[in-house]
Amino acid sequence: MDFFTDTSSIFLCAVSAAALDLCVLVLILIAYNEKKHAQQYWNRISGCMELSAPDVSYPLNCGEILIGRHASADIRLPDLSVSRYHAILTVSDGIWTITDIGSKSGIFVNGTLVTERILRENDVINLGNKRLIFRRRRNNNVH
Amino acid sequence: MYINMFLYIISCIFVLLSHSAMLLNVYFNGSAESAANVIILAVAVLGLDFAYFIIMLMFRQRSYAIDFLLILILNMSVIFQSCFGGVHLSVKHYITCIVSLAACKAGFLICKNPKWLQMQKKYIYLAIGILIVAILTLTGSRSMWINIGSISIQPSEFIKPLFVLACATYVAEQQKKRKVLWFYVVYENFALYGLTAVICLLQWWCRDLGSLPTFVGIFVCGFFLRICYPKAKFSKKTLITAGVILLIVALIALRFAPDYVQERLHTDIWNDKTGSGYQQSHALIAIADGGWFGKGPGNGTLCNIFAHENDIVFATISEEWGLLFTLMVMLAILIMLAVPLINPPRSYYHSTMSAGVCAYFIMQMSLNIFGSCNMIPFTGVTIPLISAGGSSMVTSGFMVGMLIAAQSPEFRQSALRQKRNTPVRRQTA
Amino acid sequence: MKSIKRSQYIISLFIIVFIAGMTALVIKIRTEADFYMMNSDEQVLGMVYDRNGGVLFDGTGKGQYEDNFFVDVGNLIGDNKGQMTNTLVAQNLKRLNNYSFSSGTVDDGKAAIYTTLDHNANRAVYNAYGFQKGCAVAYNYKTGEILVCTSLPSIDVTKGYDGIEYFESGTLISKNMYRTVPGSTQKVSTVISALEIMGADRLFSKVYNCSAHYTNLNGDVIDCHNWSGHGDQNIQQALENSCNPFFAQLIENDEDLPLEDIIKQYKKMGYAVNEDEDEYIDIDGIQCEKASTTLMDSHEFRTQWGCIGQGDTMVSPIQLMMWQSAIANGTGKMTMPHLIDHVTDVDGDITETAETEFSKQIFSADTANTVRQMLLTNGANHYVYSISGYTVGLKSGTAQVDEGAKENSLLVGFVDDPNKPVAFCILIEDKNSGYLTTEQVAKIMLDSINLQ
Repeated sequence: MDFFTDTSSIFLCAVSAAALDLCVLVLILIAYNEKKHAQQYWNRISGCMELSAPDVSYPLNCGEILIGRHASADIRLPDLSVSRYHAILTVSDGIWTITDIGSKSGIFVNGTLVTERILRENDVINLGNKRLIFRRRRNNNVH
Repeated sequence: MYINMFLYIISCIFVLLSHSAMLLNVYFNGSAESAANVIILAVAVLGLDFAYFIIMLMFRQRSYAIDFLLILILNMSVIFQSCFGGVHLSVKHYITCIVSLAACKAGFLICKNPKWLQMQKKYIYLAIGILIVAILTLTGSRSMWINIGSISIQPSEFIKPLFVLACATYVAEQQKKRKVLWFYVVYENFALYGLTAVICLLQWWCRDLGSLPTFVGIFVCGFFLRICYPKAKFSKKTLITAGVILLIVALIALRFAPDYVQERLHTDIWNDKTGSGYQQSHALIAIADGGWFGKGPGNGTLCNIFAHENDIVFATISEEWGLLFTLMVMLAILIMLAVPLINPPRSYYHSTMSAGVCAYFIMQMSLNIFGSCNMIPFTGVTIPLISAGGSSMVTSGFMVGMLIAAQSPEFRQSALRQKRNTPVRRQTA
Repeated sequence: MKSIKRSQYIISLFIIVFIAGMTALVIKIRTEADFYMMNSDEQVLGMVYDRNGGVLFDGTGKGQYEDNFFVDVGNLIGDNKGQMTNTLVAQNLKRLNNYSFSSGTVDDGKAAIYTTLDHNANRAVYNAYGFQKGCAVAYNYKTGEILVCTSLPSIDVTKGYDGIEYFESGTLISKNMYRTVPGSTQKVSTVISALEIMGADRLFSKVYNCSAHYTNLNGDVIDCHNWSGHGDQNIQQALENSCNPFFAQLIENDEDLPLEDIIKQYKKMGYAVNEDEDEYIDIDGIQCEKASTTLMDSHEFRTQWGCIGQGDTMVSPIQLMMWQSAIANGTGKMTMPHLIDHVTDVDGDITETAETEFSKQIFSADTANTVRQMLLTNGANHYVYSISGYTVGLKSGTAQVDEGAKENSLLVGFVDDPNKPVAFCILIEDKNSGYLTTEQVAKIMLDSINLQ
């Protein structure tokens, strides 16, 4: 009898621990699954836009994107004509806005000097000598 | 409505399953005087599960993983707390859990739109100010509790989520430099540094040194995110300097700490088993006594010790449920904090907020667990979501709400856009 | 994006640090759990057995034992009540606790300590003392197993500590572990030192005269117990006669025996000389005091007495016995005594087994053999009838305590028999209060020890 209660207590304890572990594991998997939905939602908000330079394109994966020469900038443009912290891109309901954050050479959108401006598809942005095109991402399957 | 009904049901089933397994353990191993007690507990726990599953669907969220983890952990804590000193539903803790769930949803609604919240920063500062004034005026002489009737409130707990929000604001506002005389300055920096100093002084004054490391942890978290963000890249020099400065400050603080803190630092608990080492020594004995698999719910002896349900709750659970299970529970909390790693937030505000929440949880858990096990000085802080205590439960519920908000953000900016963009349009037209 | 990555790094960092802390915590708890349980109020202790499987201590408190069953080893084995701390049980609670981290506390666990003691021999020795007090210890000098270790007065731990304030002093300690005045048994140490310093040939050539009194250079008088004196003697005769003036002259006047060398040799043997720090011999957790003495100046009264066995010299019976082992082994290395033969855990598995250990060389093998021969000669000349049936090497001693008010009788020695390699030390306190002699105790002890 003693032996039985002993084993049963360990068994039940192990079962509770296992159930908890299993549940946590399932929820981790669910979280991974939800990542996909979150990405889809993000694509809807961001309108699947990207900034593309002639040789490379930068995906827009978060709500604020810092553009500058500094290594910590989200989009790093290693050119002396670009300020260390040049411009910031923000999104709201699928609309992207570019804002100057104290650059020396300013921002030109389609040739016009702006401090803040809503971007439309295929706008050409000039930061110093660098030229970026705001356009819809070519391959939508890329996350 | 949830996007994938199938996954929703699967999650519900697994949460219910793990609670049922625990209830079975309580029923067969526990010290229930009558089966009725266990049945009441089961009805309460599973009922709350179902209720929350349904309420959850009323909120438009991208992600429900944290919600499931929250209800899983909260109801586990209800079961734990109900088993201390015999199995019977701990009504008080049950109610605080419900309030905590409500606080979670409130936290989600408040924090889901970072842009909007960023504009409300003055209210955040105002709320912190009010709480500080409340602590200074309403608490008894230099204590941290406000007593209203039979309820005791710890207002410093409520400062913690607000402080996290203040840190997040501070990081998100870094672009808004204003030129004062010859310098570009960010007002937020001064606001936050001032706030941190005031809060630290306040904690010192009201002898709530347990909360101090939590605030410092949140602040360090925000500070690292700032110094790494607009000024320099993740420079090792900066990090090391900051670390060294922090260490020196900590050492100086310890040197000049009040006597009762010094006493706690230099106590050999085994030589002072009835004095200041009382709680820790009994906690350690209880953990050792419980072993891997525990004595069975309700069979613990630690429930006669002061603060068994909050300050040394790790040991109390460990004694009754076994160290293995307790570690699993801590793992569940860690997984909840790790969800932002799986599904990253989409804005600086939210990412800082997630890190701050994580700092809060980890600091509180470390202080509690390692403190009660005599690895660091023992301070009376709570394990979020597990320990009994209204203020702590509500606060941690709110914090989890903030995590959920970072998972399901909103990027509406109507008010902001109208105000700022009109002149721009004119200019570009 | 990078900032978000950074916040993720910070979250990971926090989580990793916490996990590291938790790992450390689990390891700490896992390794220290036994220690925590020692401090618990609800211990379930196991048993302590003697070498024949008899019970010496019952941790369960359930067994029925006859009155005073444990009294002979009461203050050596002790218990967990906290009144006696320098005892086997109190120092080995961890080994005796019926607890393991995976199975928790087990009420009918098999944790036990199997000691090397012989309960029958202990009881025989204990009973031999009758109303007199003292202590006796004996061990196997080949293996280090302590066979007899009894100390009077003693208590039966099953009876509790009611009226503890009326207990006689020394009831709650095993006197074998504590220093006492060695009396003439100290002369063995002095002979060893002299042999080490000048060698056997020169020492045996020394002859000093004893005329019952010897006045040293400072004018102090050292008396001999023989009122008419011993006349001219060599070292063997002086040792057998236990002649104080001979040794006083040897210390004071002999240019071959400088005091610094004696001090050096004493320290080698484990004495704390002059201001040396006290040390302890550890016997399975029980602390046994080491010898101490004061040797300042070879013309000083106190120093001379220190080498004869009075003065400031104090030695514990266990250490006297250990020196006998170094002599009896003929190697100059002491056999380290132990009480625990093996230990079983809660499941009955043997976790520790004792091994024979030796000290480092405290004097040369030549010296050991010479002293061995001297003591055997002494035994053959004086103790053949009182300790009949054994070839023993012996040195007796009489120690004045309480400023001369009482005399303790001591006997150290060993049995020269490969089948019964026993070294022992016997102490009878206030020998003039009764008729018991150390030889009688030795005879009873050796008769009752059964090594088979």
